[in-house]
Amino acid sequence: MVQVLDDYAITSPLRQKNTLLKIAIASFGIFMGLLSSSPITPLFIFAIISFSIIFFGKIPIKTYLKILTIPASFVITSAIIIAFISGSGQNLFSFEIFGHTFGVNKEGLNMAILVLSRSFGGTACLFFLALTTPMIDLFAVLKMTKLPDSLIEISMMMYRYIFVFLDVAMGIKYAQTVRLGYRDFKTSFRSLVMLGANLFIRSWEQGEKLYLSMNSRCYEGKLVMYDEKRSIEIPEILLAFSFFTLVIAIFYFTRDVVLF
Amino acid sequence: MTILETKDLSFSYPDGTLALDNISVNIEKGKKIAFVGRNGSGKSTLFLSMNGTHRPKKGEILFHGKPMKYDSKSLREIRKNIGIVFQNSDDQIFAPTIYQDVAFGPTNLDYSKEKVDEIVHKTLEYVGLMHLKDKPPHHLSGGQKKRVAIAGIVAMDPEIIILDEPLANLDPVGADEVMDLLNELNYFGKTIIISTHDVDLAYSWADYVFLMSEHKIISEGTPEEIFMQPDKLKAAHLRRPATLEIYEEIKRRGLARNNCCPRDIPDLVHSLRSQHLLWVDVPPEVQEGDYVNLGIFYGEYAQNSPYEAANCKVLHIHDDGLAIVEMDRKAFRAGSIGIYDTSRYSGEEVVQIMKRDGIECVGAMGKKSKLLAEKDDIYLHVTAGVIDRSILNALAGQRCLILTHGGMVYHAMDRIKAYMEKSGINIPVSVINPGNGEQVKQDVSESMAG
Repeated sequence: MVQVLDDYAITSPLRQKNTLLKIAIASFGIFMGLLSSSPITPLFIFAIISFSIIFFGKIPIKTYLKILTIPASFVITSAIIIAFISGSGQNLFSFEIFGHTFGVNKEGLNMAILVLSRSFGGTACLFFLALTTPMIDLFAVLKMTKLPDSLIEISMMMYRYIFVFLDVAMGIKYAQTVRLGYRDFKTSFRSLVMLGANLFIRSWEQGEKLYLSMNSRCYEGKLVMYDEKRSIEIPEILLAFSFFTLVIAIFYFTRDVVLF
Repeated sequence: MTILETKDLSFSYPDGTLALDNISVNIEKGKKIAFVGRNGSGKSTLFLSMNGTHRPKKGEILFHGKPMKYDSKSLREIRKNIGIVFQNSDDQIFAPTIYQDVAFGPTNLDYSKEKVDEIVHKTLEYVGLMHLKDKPPHHLSGGQKKRVAIAGIVAMDPEIIILDEPLANLDPVGADEVMDLLNELNYFGKTIIISTHDVDLAYSWADYVFLMSEHKIISEGTPEEIFMQPDKLKAAHLRRPATLEIYEEIKRRGLARNNCCPRDIPDLVHSLRSQHLLWVDVPPEVQEGDYVNLGIFYGEYAQNSPYEAANCKVLHIHDDGLAIVEMDRKAFRAGSIGIYDTSRYSGEEVVQIMKRDGIECVGAMGKKSKLLAEKDDIYLHVTAGVIDRSILNALAGQRCLILTHGGMVYHAMDRIKAYMEKSGINIPVSVINPGNGEQVKQDVSESMAG
């Protein structure tokens, strides 16, 4: 079986904490990070949240860094591009390729650093949510919003069958690999197409079987939500509150800070 | 009493394939029924007809003597009372958590939120999965998923539970737990219907067997009747159960008594003919002239006292470790079986009982009891086929303890008593920690004497 983010969330010690509190922390972090005009606030958020993921969430540092590399590769590439193409002002350095001048100026560099820090801050907040709050807890929160029930129910079933089909897909892929289905580009392409087609047919059949089995249990368009009552305790409130105030304070005092 | 009946039931799929051909069956309330046939013989289609999913082309289905109607209200009533557990648990368990899946049925029966919550907790406790209630199904093993699927049905409190190939893809321990659960449900009055192509399972478990082949019922009867007919089994593309094969072979060699129909290993052991000069496997340290103990006799087999140990004098030892021995009988006390009800569990008490009674073999039945024993580091000698094993060990003079709970206590008691009645061998058996209103000591030798 493959280990996905959700599996970390299910076993996380922070899972037992109140879902709404965790969502509040994560969205506050993202919001303040985006609002901030200096890179200090998002970087601070990134540090604090990463610390709590590793320290409170008991995610191994190695795993966390590995997960972080995926968005990091996108973010760093785009930050470099932004540094080169945007802004005006004093040129910091430049070089020439085939008669075109590429240069980085002050404004562009500041912009790139801001984008970089905002992205990392936001990513950390999202990972905080993803690594401590499994989907099954989020469904209960979605239910509280006024989203249509059928939408939530369909997403619950989708969530459940993602894992069923992930297993099926891994099985098919393995069966293809042992028979040299991914020998070169052409066969890989063919095998992948067959895998996709097969999965489509399987999911269709699964849908019919599911309907049958739900009907056998008197399905009437009603699903219960799993919502365990998790109270918020005072130390958690204090911790969250000090995080909020610290971020707001830093946000206020560093609002005019520019690095270059 | 008949609870479910089909009369000349025929069904074909929309593409014209015939799936059921004039099926007439009569299902008795509270029985354990097995539909046996190879894959594609029509078992699953029959089951889906029984809960009203497939509407028969010809013939009818009677539930409690009333013909099945196909309006949505009647169907709801039928499906509440006839639950189906599908072969592949993933087809059935669709909710993101175990709790939600078990709650699905009761919610659809319009129970209040509190009542649903209560039912789900009770059912999960019952199948021993309470600790997994907030886990998603893909974190569970095959056996656990199957128990969740069964819990989802049990939560609706149906009268009949139908299981399509309940043991498919389960490991022996998982299979054993599922069968324990089914026996317990049956003990509390549920009619259990399974389909299987496992002849050993059908033979040892069922009260009544329907043999299916080519969309028809080709034979029906008690397991002894069905599996003693080689031609019918052949027509159904099945083979004889292993227990019967072994019995036939040892009978042909004159080692077993005639006209037995052993359904499990204790039965098989009992069918062995007693002999005075025997070939016996002896340990290497035994020498000619030594005595070895071979087991206990009781009742008509014991000539001089209620219990006799078969002590054998070794006359001659062969090179391969086989020896010729002469039977000698000595008055002796047999082994015993104590049943401990874990619904009133205390680890200390069990350890104390084990010490006090000199327990040599501990077995646990049902997930809950196994978990309790594991928690308190009680070593389990037996975890699969616990009742049979305990009988065999008790016959060999060991003192056995079975840890189990609820209905399984009575089930175990009944099984052991049934064996004693059938074999005439007495095994002292008692519930060690009976609750209020139960008989303190149920020593069967007294009740049999009286």
